[in-house]
Amino acid sequence: MKIHLMPLALLMQLCVGALALAEVARAPASVNFETDVRPILRTYCLDCHGAQEQVEGGLDLRLRRLIVQGGDSGSAIVPGDSDSSLILELVRSGEMPPSEKKVPPDQIEVLSAWIAAGAPTLRDEPATIGKGLPITEEERAYWAFQPPRRPAIPSFGSEDRVRTPIDAMLLGRMRNQHLAFSPDADKLTLLRRVAFDLTGLPPSDEEIERFTGDTSPDAYEKLLDRLLASPHYGERWARHWLDVAGYSDSDGDIGDSLRSYAYKYRDYVIKAFNEDKPFDQFVIEQLAGDELAAAPLDQSSKPVGASLSPEQLEKLIATGFLRTAVDGTANSDNPELARNNVIADTIKIVSSSLLGLTVGCAQCHDHRYDPISQADYYGLRAVFEPAFDWQQGWRTPAERLVSLSSAADREKGAAIDVEANKIAEERAAKLTEYITTELEKVLVGFPEALRNELRQAYRTAAELRTPEQAALLESHPSVMINAGNLYLYNPDAIKDLGKFDERMGALRATKPPEEFISALFEVPERRPPTHLFHRGDYREPKEAIGPADLTIAAPEGERYVALEDDPSVPTTGRRLAYARHLMNGQHPLVARVLMNRVWLNHFGRGLVDTPGDFGSLGLRPTHPELLDLLAIEFAEQGWSLKRMHKWIMTSTAYRQSSNADPRMQEIDAANSTYWRMPLRRLDAESIRDRMLSTNGLLDATLYGPPVSIEEDATGQVVVSGGVGRRSIYLQVRRSKPVTFLTTFDAPVMEVNCDRRISSTGSPQSLMLMNSDFVLKQAEAFAQRVLKEVPPSASLPAVAQAGASTVAWGPQLAHAWKLAYQRPITTEELSFGSQFLQQQIASQDSAQENPEQAALINLCQQLLASNEFLHVD
Amino acid sequence: MGLGGVALAWMLQQDRLLGAPPAKPTDIVFQDLRQRTPASAPRAKAMISLFMHGGPSHMDLLDPKPELTKRSGEEYRGSIDYSFTNRASKKLFGSPWKFRKQGECGTEVSELLPHLSGVIDDVCVIRSMHTGNNGHEPNIRYFQGGIPGQPGRPTLGSWMVYGLGSETQELPAYVALSDPGGLPVEGTGNWSSGFLPPLFQGTVLRAQEPRIVNLDPPPHLKGDLQRQNLALLDQLNRRHLTLHPHEADLEARIANYELAARMQSAAKEALDLSQETTATHKLYGLDQEHTREYGSRCLIARRLVERGVRFVQLFLHFQPWDHHSMLRTDLPRMCRATDQPSAALVADLKARGLLDSTVVHWGGEIGRLPVCEGNLDENAGRDHNGQGFSIWLAGGGFRGGMTFGQTDEFGHRAVENIVTPNDYQATLLHQFGIDHQKLVYHHAGRDHSLTDGRAARVLSELI
Repeated sequence: MKIHLMPLALLMQLCVGALALAEVARAPASVNFETDVRPILRTYCLDCHGAQEQVEGGLDLRLRRLIVQGGDSGSAIVPGDSDSSLILELVRSGEMPPSEKKVPPDQIEVLSAWIAAGAPTLRDEPATIGKGLPITEEERAYWAFQPPRRPAIPSFGSEDRVRTPIDAMLLGRMRNQHLAFSPDADKLTLLRRVAFDLTGLPPSDEEIERFTGDTSPDAYEKLLDRLLASPHYGERWARHWLDVAGYSDSDGDIGDSLRSYAYKYRDYVIKAFNEDKPFDQFVIEQLAGDELAAAPLDQSSKPVGASLSPEQLEKLIATGFLRTAVDGTANSDNPELARNNVIADTIKIVSSSLLGLTVGCAQCHDHRYDPISQADYYGLRAVFEPAFDWQQGWRTPAERLVSLSSAADREKGAAIDVEANKIAEERAAKLTEYITTELEKVLVGFPEALRNELRQAYRTAAELRTPEQAALLESHPSVMINAGNLYLYNPDAIKDLGKFDERMGALRATKPPEEFISALFEVPERRPPTHLFHRGDYREPKEAIGPADLTIAAPEGERYVALEDDPSVPTTGRRLAYARHLMNGQHPLVARVLMNRVWLNHFGRGLVDTPGDFGSLGLRPTHPELLDLLAIEFAEQGWSLKRMHKWIMTSTAYRQSSNADPRMQEIDAANSTYWRMPLRRLDAESIRDRMLSTNGLLDATLYGPPVSIEEDATGQVVVSGGVGRRSIYLQVRRSKPVTFLTTFDAPVMEVNCDRRISSTGSPQSLMLMNSDFVLKQAEAFAQRVLKEVPPSASLPAVAQAGASTVAWGPQLAHAWKLAYQRPITTEELSFGSQFLQQQIASQDSAQENPEQAALINLCQQLLASNEFLHVD
Repeated sequence: MGLGGVALAWMLQQDRLLGAPPAKPTDIVFQDLRQRTPASAPRAKAMISLFMHGGPSHMDLLDPKPELTKRSGEEYRGSIDYSFTNRASKKLFGSPWKFRKQGECGTEVSELLPHLSGVIDDVCVIRSMHTGNNGHEPNIRYFQGGIPGQPGRPTLGSWMVYGLGSETQELPAYVALSDPGGLPVEGTGNWSSGFLPPLFQGTVLRAQEPRIVNLDPPPHLKGDLQRQNLALLDQLNRRHLTLHPHEADLEARIANYELAARMQSAAKEALDLSQETTATHKLYGLDQEHTREYGSRCLIARRLVERGVRFVQLFLHFQPWDHHSMLRTDLPRMCRATDQPSAALVADLKARGLLDSTVVHWGGEIGRLPVCEGNLDENAGRDHNGQGFSIWLAGGGFRGGMTFGQTDEFGHRAVENIVTPNDYQATLLHQFGIDHQKLVYHHAGRDHSLTDGRAARVLSELI
């Protein structure tokens, strides 16, 4: 039996007798307008028949009575008689909707059943209806738009191993299915899990000793504190945020130009995580750092870099968040379109990262599935409009750079430019000399009578030549020597001229180095209007729209509207006000969206597993009350992410083993109730970083310009700069993503990345078996093993028993510890030793060092193994 | 209804709102290369695309323009968008080559393409391609990724293997045959999977060793050593699996290593051209210096398709059809290198009964202008032209022996039955049983498709 659902208030209303007044059939019928029919109309029909002020064919489908009333072709339905209903006829024949997207047969059946049942509604329809599509009660009742509510925490006994309220929230659902938490993971497993989770690196030797040797009751909490204080924590968790922010070191324009100073934003994010900058502040700085910094501006309305305090600088750099979108505005055929694309992409990034909604489609028409109107979209755009100012104040990527050099340094640089220009003049004179010489050589080849005429014609400026002269030259193309083709005549001349270029380059290199940041800065006193664009086309602006949050993100009648121009700040203040509104702790979406991502990164799956889409096309939360609890705690505990990490990671849910109990596996194979910790494949960056760490080549330098990359002869993009640097520092070039990383599912930034996939395919296997990169890692790994445990050395005292009695035992034990951070087992000692002996015997006789060659091969298999690629 | 009922309904509503499965329009996401059945019956199963980087000169090859020839040297009166304004001219440059009707169909083909003329009855020439802009990169991206100018999108081949999977698991589903000289313009972007999972990107098959990057171990590890390595790896993984039973991902990776090892022998076999007869070698021009390289790659393409590979694309080094100058010498040279192998591919596929199920595509990203670039002399060239140009298709259900569309009397602009790269893409996917609007991937908050909601028409006239 299908049950009808309606908000409490309406049910109450029905109970007190509204039912009796209704003229049409109402609940309980099997199909209703509000719950079943309107969503279909919304998807396929209302764009033309309701959303716009001018409805097509005079037919408005927003209310049941308007449908009955019909349009130019008469009534759209005959209640009770679906076969005579025009709407069904047109939908069935495919005549409507006119676009290629047709109503699927099962939904046509819903329409038919509804009409046949007399076209019932759940409640009385309003007597009047404004323009556009109102938000319905059903839409308002959607879970994600309700403010988070602190749930009641169920209580359990001590035998239930409930360590935190998180456990209590999870266990409630588990109990219903006769499930319970798995046993706690052993210490070493837990240590590896925590280290990769918080730092993206394996635990160090010292940490292994310290933690496994610490028998105090709060050993685990202390471990978490140590790792949260590690600077590698920021590198790891910044990566998650940079995915969502769509960070890239290139513009994605025609030439995919480098965005040379974007990395300062990347470093800002790493620092913010390391300092545990309160997340509200972190978000506010990224959305409105320029308005907070209130930097003095020069005559081109740019912040005066040299005069900025470190705090102001940091806030300006934070606006790099609004500068991550693909930007082709410097060299586009259609700059106006390109600029609007940048703004649209930026809004996508802001909305998917903070609001967890896909607002992009409302750029052209009301959202077809979520209650986001086109006007809402442009309200959001109006928040950002003054900063981008696409018609009058647009800044191309080069123009948004803010120089940090002092006036004195810039003067010095200008003086050097004057000197360099003198060399340029010398070069030009020399070029003329070469051309003249070559010209005379060519002229010798012509009859003497002609030479003078040709010389004369050549020397006459092109626009002053007589038609005869022009024709003469055209018929004697070889005379037309110029700077561009001189190399064809005299290759040595080019080399000689190159020396001038070198001198100029050398001189310019003595200029005081000029540092820049790339930022977004709104110009005071500029208040460009935002218009709703008809069908999203910037060439068809309609009514002006003021800055506001989405209507649905607040209770009815309480929509957040920002001041058009806040008199207390020099800029409009719109972004600052909006950012503060988002982070005020009351917003229904922001804290949920942020904490859902944190959960996703700890457990490999979000509580809402579509982290960028909390709307009706996304998935529903598996544990809505837990998500609310996390969101509320996050805001109430001062937006400290480190505190939330610790809270989550001290739960039994996080500390339990990943080993599957067969009985529970039977009941909940997908582990949707979290009865065990999921086993997870490391992400691309962690795999590469773990390899570097295993072989001892990891360069732990923090921050700085991106490490360069290049395409090798085989077309693979490889690291060409500091090969030992952590993966977060590798240049992110949209057109040249690092092959190793993308093979393991690192995103290629087009807009941003909501969530990574984790695939398994032959390119990965082949990469691990045969790639130059992995072979080199294996070689370095083996060399490290041999260096730290030379074949002659006796076994270190800490190694376990048994290793010394097996051939190559000490080396095997060391390799296992480096790769897996655990002791080798007897079984592994045995097959590892056999492998080495067999390989040494099988090596080619030309192999100079068969022992090392064999060990390299062994090390490579460790790097390629599932245990290395996964954390349990 | 009593109050109890109200409370019940309220709770049920919460359940429905919180727990209802999403009505997602796109709930199918492919994460593997298993063969999939397309929505409608396909005409084609595989495609070989001969991508002609740089923009072959259509009025010298596939689109005869007698009026242009007649008025060669005269001033062109229409407006032209030039790329190289410094060398721009308005002087009409009649084709130096003759066209003749060929085959039973009588399609006119230039004397530069004698071999194509031999298979013209199986070829559908589109003479009205139009991109509306002149650059190389924007149009390569248009043809490969569906949106002019936008880099980083999945390519046509990626979408095909995403939608259809592969008939073989022992060879890559999507192969890019690169030129021994180096990468084409736009480099690896030509076979990128963009935001699709990397599983769907093109695997580069190189002209020299290593033929497939990472396929084979370095020489010193081949044979026994590699077998021992893989045995150890398997031992490590199986031990690990006993500690984590029921983990599908771990099992999948173990299976994948086995597959990777099988790929080594399968690929070696597929690339072994010594298995082909002398007659076949001759057909593709492997016995001649000027056709050997391209001919070998065309033959490899056929062998791959025969073995179940879904999509093969051949590339050229940089953009050798970009004849800004020296058209008279350089265009014939390009034709000499590629004409015989391209035509051999069509003839050979047909002889083996594979042409019906295999689309062959030949074309560049733009064409060239009817006016000369530089002086109208022996060094004359032609500048870029995205307003009108030609490509050809054969097999896979495309009608042979026909031409479609027209450019104006000089070959500058497409004027009749204009075809955009999106139309071309929609039509191709249609031949594979795929609706270009329905093959979507959810990414960055919305559904994406190859044609990305842009106007695109299945060209029913061609099929």
